[in-house]
Amino acid sequence: MHRKHQDVVFALVGIVALMVAVLTFLTLFVNMAVDGLPRLDWHFFTSFPSRRATQAGILSAWVGSTLVMLVTAFFAVPLGVASGIYLEEYARKSWVTDLIEINITNLAGVPSIVYGLLALGLFVYQFGLGQSILSAGLTLALLILPVVIVATREAIRSIPQVIREGSYALGATRWQTVRYHILPYSSAGILTGIIIGMARAIGETAPIITIGALTFIAFLPPAPLKAEPPFVSFDWLMSPFTVMPIQMFNWTSRPEAAFQDNAAAAGFVLVFMTLAMNGLAIWLRYRLRRNIKW
Amino acid sequence: MMEQLLATKAEARSLSFYYGDFQALKGISMPVHERQVTALIGPSGCGKSTFLRCFNRMHDLYPGNRYDGQIILQPDNTDLLARSIDPIDVRMRIGMVFQKPNPFPKTVFENVAYGLRVRGERSRRAVEEKVEQALHDAALWDEVKERLHQPAYNLSGGQQQRLCIARALATDPELLLFDEPTSALDPIATASIEELMHDLKKRVTILIVTHNMQQAARVSDFTAYMYLGELVEFGVTDELFIKPQKKQTEDYITGRFG
Amino acid sequence: MANEHASKQYDLDLGAIRTRVLQMGGLVESQIRRAIDGLASGDLAALEQVIDDDHRVNAMEVALDGDTSHLIVRRQPAASDLRMIFAIAKTVTDLERIGDEAQKMARMAKAIHERGAAPLPPAVDVRHAAEAAIAMLRRSLDAFARLDCEAAQGVIRDDAGLDAEFRAILRQLITFMMEDPRTISTALEIVWIAKAIERIGDHAKNMAEYVIYIVRGTDVRHTRSPQPGA
Repeated sequence: MHRKHQDVVFALVGIVALMVAVLTFLTLFVNMAVDGLPRLDWHFFTSFPSRRATQAGILSAWVGSTLVMLVTAFFAVPLGVASGIYLEEYARKSWVTDLIEINITNLAGVPSIVYGLLALGLFVYQFGLGQSILSAGLTLALLILPVVIVATREAIRSIPQVIREGSYALGATRWQTVRYHILPYSSAGILTGIIIGMARAIGETAPIITIGALTFIAFLPPAPLKAEPPFVSFDWLMSPFTVMPIQMFNWTSRPEAAFQDNAAAAGFVLVFMTLAMNGLAIWLRYRLRRNIKW
Repeated sequence: MMEQLLATKAEARSLSFYYGDFQALKGISMPVHERQVTALIGPSGCGKSTFLRCFNRMHDLYPGNRYDGQIILQPDNTDLLARSIDPIDVRMRIGMVFQKPNPFPKTVFENVAYGLRVRGERSRRAVEEKVEQALHDAALWDEVKERLHQPAYNLSGGQQQRLCIARALATDPELLLFDEPTSALDPIATASIEELMHDLKKRVTILIVTHNMQQAARVSDFTAYMYLGELVEFGVTDELFIKPQKKQTEDYITGRFG
Repeated sequence: MANEHASKQYDLDLGAIRTRVLQMGGLVESQIRRAIDGLASGDLAALEQVIDDDHRVNAMEVALDGDTSHLIVRRQPAASDLRMIFAIAKTVTDLERIGDEAQKMARMAKAIHERGAAPLPPAVDVRHAAEAAIAMLRRSLDAFARLDCEAAQGVIRDDAGLDAEFRAILRQLITFMMEDPRTISTALEIVWIAKAIERIGDHAKNMAEYVIYIVRGTDVRHTRSPQPGA
């Protein structure tokens, strides 16, 4: 009887522990929703920030976040995936690769503000990129690079060795094996890793503030498409910007209660974006895995 | 006797192999006769799979492996293990079928076409013809012709293994290596693979590792018994199974081993 | 055959079959002896018994055939085991034939004595030939039990002597038949008996050849002389 008793006790303890986490999150989320939801309307998404709380919106913030994410993905994905593939499929195991491996794992644990400081010195001043979308994108790319590399390696490692051997036995080169097998079969895992990394990046505040993003932006970056040749423009990359978490931070530091509601609404949008990205990751993984069986 | 009349397709000459410091093969010399089935038997860990994998330089995929000696491939007298020989070129000439069926998670068609794609075959018609021929040769065409573009994993285990054989055949290998090809299959599927080997040997030389002695007796013309990385006895299968020359072989095939 | 199989049961099964072969050999040997004794003594009941007992020999053949096929199915014997089982299957057939020959001898002896005919003098030589045949049978069984090639080769050599003895008896009987046509019936029956003994020698020789096959893996049948150490 005593042993069964222990089981019951532990189950209870477990449930309580679980509830602490779930309920805390729920409370926060509900609280935010209650405060913020009344502010969520079309106007909120299409307006610039304003000194009048009721007229303020998050237009420049979500456009900024989206553009920064684009830059981040543009740099982090190819670099991270290529590094992961190199480490798994090409690099011979040696003390150098061991060292690199330890470094990557450690990089994932470095506080994000350190990345911000690095980026301030390197991108903003050394490369002269200024306090731009490009700088911010590069910074966040650096931040999530270890996540992408680790996710890529894990996804590649889950491919059975017999598949590789089957490819090599037919006379395939390493690149052919990567191109026709490794990449397609690991894409689900890699995509999941990328999206989870991006979901982390979208909420990052500290490094963006460190590189000096403005908190009050009442204009949009230059449009990427133009009427006259060459029709595309990359001026937006060098534009000043703000992002969602900074906009939130800005509003929460205002004394007026109405701005607190704006912050809550923006927070709600941000949490929703993050959850949506995680949901997308799960769905993609499910979709892509369906076609692969060993 | 029979041996002297046959051409040699490949020949191991004092072949040793090392996994790091561990010597897995100890000076093996034996021929592989052309258009014959040669079986490698022996207890687990005797080095028979290691030996097989020397023929297509599979060990090159992993660090710390070292070959010593030669494997001469005829008719051009090439030493497969020479440093100047690219393992990819070796694998272009020598096919392999694995222990567990390992079709790629692609369609039936793409599985068989893969070897051709790797070789840069661009002509759609040429690929289609080769794929159909290979599937015929692997006695699989009638079973899969209606579902060439369905995933290969929908096939049964035995069909998957025949698909892997078709995949290897599509590129016209000179030598086909089988690494315990039926160990994951039921007796009926095993019988169909064995039957297939019998048909295939009219065109291609076969080297097979098997832990099933009866299988070696059924499918092979020549048998090599290996123990602890050494070749104990090589001979005509019928003779080896009725009157082995070495007591070690006798003890193994009569089940007095252990 | 010195060391044992990984499977104890395999050893036990194979051992049991070999023991039964030797038992069958013993039964067959006693059949011959009783037939030849009956020929000398005229004990009709004993001869009747020999004729009757042949079914026991036949039953042992059937049982051993079953045992060997079971062992083949279960164990897929190879190499020396394969040769052993193969040789046992053939030995059993030869033993059964020897049993038939013994029965035939008993029938002929019974016919001679029922008619009340006086036995012909060559009966002594027949007895001698029968003893030689029994000795060959016993030695080939011993060679089988011990896998003794030397003994087996001795049996093979001795067969020629038995054949010569048969021809001598035949010539003698022909002389009797020419001298006194009334002896023809009895003489013919004795020819049959002598022929049976000669056949028993042939079967014993076959069994000796199987022993050499088991041990050396070489087939010495239909060759002039077995090559020592081949």
